[in-house]
Amino acid sequence: MKGRLAVGVVALGVAAAVPLVAGQHLLTAFIVALHAAYMALAWNVAAGYAGQFSLGHSLFYGIGAYASTMLYLKLGLTPWVGMFAGAALAGVVGVLLALGVYRYNVRGIFFALVTLGAAEVAKGLADNWHWIKGPVGILLTMKAAPAEFFFLRREPYYYVALAMVVAMVAISLVLERSRLGQHFLAVREDEAAAEASGVDTHRAKTVAIGLSAALTAFAGSFYAQFYLYVSPETVLTFEPQLTMMLGTMVGGAGTALGPVLGSVLFSGLGEALRNLPFENTRQVVIGSKLVYAILLIVILIYLPGGLITLGRRRA
Amino acid sequence: MSALLAVRGVSKRFGGLQALSNVTFGVDHREIVGIIGPNGAGKTTLFNVITGVYAPDLGRVELRGMDVTGWAPHRICRLGAARTFQIGKPFAALSVLQTVRIGALNRIDSMAGATARALEVLELVGLAGKRDDLGRHLTVIERKRLELARALATGPALLLLDEVAAGLRPNEIQEMIALVRRIAAGGVSVLIIEHVLEAVMRLSARRGVPGRGLHACLKSRASRWRTATCACSTT
Repeated sequence: MKGRLAVGVVALGVAAAVPLVAGQHLLTAFIVALHAAYMALAWNVAAGYAGQFSLGHSLFYGIGAYASTMLYLKLGLTPWVGMFAGAALAGVVGVLLALGVYRYNVRGIFFALVTLGAAEVAKGLADNWHWIKGPVGILLTMKAAPAEFFFLRREPYYYVALAMVVAMVAISLVLERSRLGQHFLAVREDEAAAEASGVDTHRAKTVAIGLSAALTAFAGSFYAQFYLYVSPETVLTFEPQLTMMLGTMVGGAGTALGPVLGSVLFSGLGEALRNLPFENTRQVVIGSKLVYAILLIVILIYLPGGLITLGRRRA
Repeated sequence: MSALLAVRGVSKRFGGLQALSNVTFGVDHREIVGIIGPNGAGKTTLFNVITGVYAPDLGRVELRGMDVTGWAPHRICRLGAARTFQIGKPFAALSVLQTVRIGALNRIDSMAGATARALEVLELVGLAGKRDDLGRHLTVIERKRLELARALATGPALLLLDEVAAGLRPNEIQEMIALVRRIAAGGVSVLIIEHVLEAVMRLSARRGVPGRGLHACLKSRASRWRTATCACSTT
């Protein structure tokens, strides 16, 4: 336990020192990796711990991005606060979605499809909603306003992203050691046996989706502040969902560090592939997707528990 | 004093199959009751109705004086009736300790307290040495013991055992009988469904056969729990 704590402190120290040595480009890559790790951890709460394999988490990501952005533009509310409002809204939407879905006992693959559909519906709505600028999207202006979550340099974004990941890992660890977290695991493993052990499975699943949705929304708000652009095409597509799943499945679902490991690996890989001697961008995209796919297949076949199980086997 | 469990006129039909018809019986405090019968007699359906997996078409189930008909399984577990599953349902990716601790969290809010309770129960069922093994790596008897431990950890007043002896070797059956006796000696009532006649014969004071409804009762045997009066009704 003490050894693990020491490793954690050292890793954190190294991570905190990154901006001192990394250039702006490399720093951006690190921010993207941390952002992916946070999203993966947030999805992992529902999918990894509670076994609720949602494919619609882009919906909650999008809610976070749009909520903090709209609150800022229309009411002047700083995104530092707006992101909490977005999380609350996403949490409510998640709970309502869960109540509806579980009311009709939709499970497994059907649950995944219904959530996927919900995200698609949200994208359709956003595309046609003029108040939030439809498919054109919303552009934020670059400026130096730390109180409003705008920075000109990369470093502050890096530290915010790092803090979010650290907080999310802490939340995951606390969850693992809580009654609620144990109930999540029981639901994931076998709902009938969970019920027979006194677990209110309906409630546990609803809480898992609501909590995971709220946490995911913070990532959406961060995205908006970092890229300064929110549109259905960027935050409500399958892309964010894919990022969450890749990192989690590759690193290790249902663990607090697996999703971080998987996300950093995949983001790093994407960065490395960008430097391959391809002739044009299109080839880079196709080439990197090929490598992603092959790596994903190999990992899922040989390490179904994710990369995290490598260390566990040796220990 | 009202019975711990009272099943009154319960019927359950699946399509054209009348699984249970007008079953009435009860289990008292500190009593072991056995139900025997061939495959398809409705034994497991009876358990499923008692523990809230199915609502009965007709009739009522009362537990500790409360009408629990139609309650969700977790509420019935909270009130004090815990069941094992015939086909052991270990939490495949969880350790033995984690599995039993989830049961213990039914009555104990703190993780430390639940862990301590889980370890006690594991000691009782003889799985303490396997506490870190994953559910999927257990043998058949270990799974049955784990099922028993998980159910027992929920702190039940009534334990419903679904074929705990089926599939076990003779010496394992002896161990299982001794274990159920130990549990019952701790003040827990037991309702046991069994194929293995010997297990029921040796354990229970009263036995009923569901057949088409719990329609035959074997001769009751004077026991140290209580002199049995057969309460199994006929259709």
